[in-house]
Amino acid sequence: MKRFWYFLREAFISLRTHRASTLIGIITTAFTLTSFGTFLLLYYNVHNLIGRVQTNVQIIVYPKDAIEPQQLQDLKKTIQDHPAIDSLTFISKNDALQDFKKQFPDEAYLLEGLGTSPFPASLVLKLADSIPSTDAISTLVNRLQQNPEVERVRYNRDWIERLTLVITYIEIVALIVGGVLALASITIIANTVQLAFYTRQEEIEILRLIGGTNLFISIPYLIEGAVIGGLGGGMALGLLRGGFEFFKHKTHTLSVIGGFSSVFEFFPLPLSLLLISAGILLGCIGTLTSMYGWMRFRL
Amino acid sequence: MIQLFHVTKYYEGCLALSDISLRIEKGECVLLTGPSGAGKTSLLKLIFGSEHPDDGQILVQNRNIARLRRADIPYHRRTMGFVLQDFKLLPHRTVFENVALPLIIRGLSSSESRRKVIEALRAVGMEHKQATHAGVLSAGEQQRVCIARAIVNSPIILLADEPTGNLDPQLTTEITALFKAINARGTTVMMATHNRQVVEQLNGRIVRLDCGHLLSDQGTYA
Repeated sequence: MKRFWYFLREAFISLRTHRASTLIGIITTAFTLTSFGTFLLLYYNVHNLIGRVQTNVQIIVYPKDAIEPQQLQDLKKTIQDHPAIDSLTFISKNDALQDFKKQFPDEAYLLEGLGTSPFPASLVLKLADSIPSTDAISTLVNRLQQNPEVERVRYNRDWIERLTLVITYIEIVALIVGGVLALASITIIANTVQLAFYTRQEEIEILRLIGGTNLFISIPYLIEGAVIGGLGGGMALGLLRGGFEFFKHKTHTLSVIGGFSSVFEFFPLPLSLLLISAGILLGCIGTLTSMYGWMRFRL
Repeated sequence: MIQLFHVTKYYEGCLALSDISLRIEKGECVLLTGPSGAGKTSLLKLIFGSEHPDDGQILVQNRNIARLRRADIPYHRRTMGFVLQDFKLLPHRTVFENVALPLIIRGLSSSESRRKVIEALRAVGMEHKQATHAGVLSAGEQQRVCIARAIVNSPIILLADEPTGNLDPQLTTEITALFKAINARGTTVMMATHNRQVVEQLNGRIVRLDCGHLLSDQGTYA
């Protein structure tokens, strides 16, 4: 316990002594994580949006006109047994006609005298929530198209695939930008800690003299790096939240899918904590980078 | 207690110690003497584990220091105390905090640490200054605190490198008396000095070095 307080006290003495470099470290980490967080927030919301769209996507299967009732039953069973399918609704030719009349009562006269319904029967499939990838949906659609009892399958997948492609690009850009900024942050934190090392060189030598292990000597600096990173992460979270609220405020009047504010949401608590943890991790990596070179050849 | 077998040490090609063999028994007081550059400090550093010999073996309490793993060196150092000419105290910490540092490293409880620190400070006559910052102490007081820090762990060996180098004759007498008292309690003392006053006062075994060579040894080497 005494050691624990010693480590904490040493870390905070160092943070207080090197206020300027501490502040630079915090701001750099905050900048890094804000940039990375912006991409993450964008990715998170677009990903959510795709998830919502996919769950609302319907695949419409048109069986052949001459299909036998038993074959129709078999087709329904085949479709229902597929794990990607949540529910299936059969709309007969007559149901389709009635639907048309309900939706377009003024045009109903056009169909009078035709006798049988001109509309094809269809099977409307609703996708299960647990099938997020477009690949899984495409596989299902291909299988249905190859079924000899199926006339055609309607599935507007093009724009979903485009959206998925956009997500992939966001991911790549976020990784590159995040990686570069993370390296910058690690370097700055490493320099901050190295500065603390230099100014406390004599103290470190004294600790070695009286039997301090590398771990004992390093722990206060690791705490220092973690505090810088954690505060940077917290600041980044604050900046992102502020920016997000500002964006929501500015776009709440826009009528895209009921306004942006109804579509976009901020990070949930686990992701927010993840961002702060990323800051702490950056801080610790920075410290370790600095310490490794420092302690490697010292007895 | 301490045995050196044909120890040789070079610094960037320059000979610092040449074929040194010594045997120091428990409770002995050994004075390493000789001019500057004789190799006194190098010998102490080798025993302390802050340098590796280029040749030969060093046994401290039957542990071969030359083969000690890097990670084990701190634990080796905890068994001994080291007093330096320039004190090596943390000036912005109190006397108590300076002396307590080796005990924090060992992870002792607060109450036990307190007891040991007070005991060590009492032994060097600095108990009344425990709350004073080390930086404002006189040279003699700083050396006393340094000795207290070295003995707070009750080491079996106390190494000292010119501990009176920065002190006037009066303070030298006082500090030397402290070393004598510590040695009288059974601690092996090994001190590098070229101060005749210290040598005479301590009246220990004299090991003379010059240019890295062992010139004479009053003690016996088997």
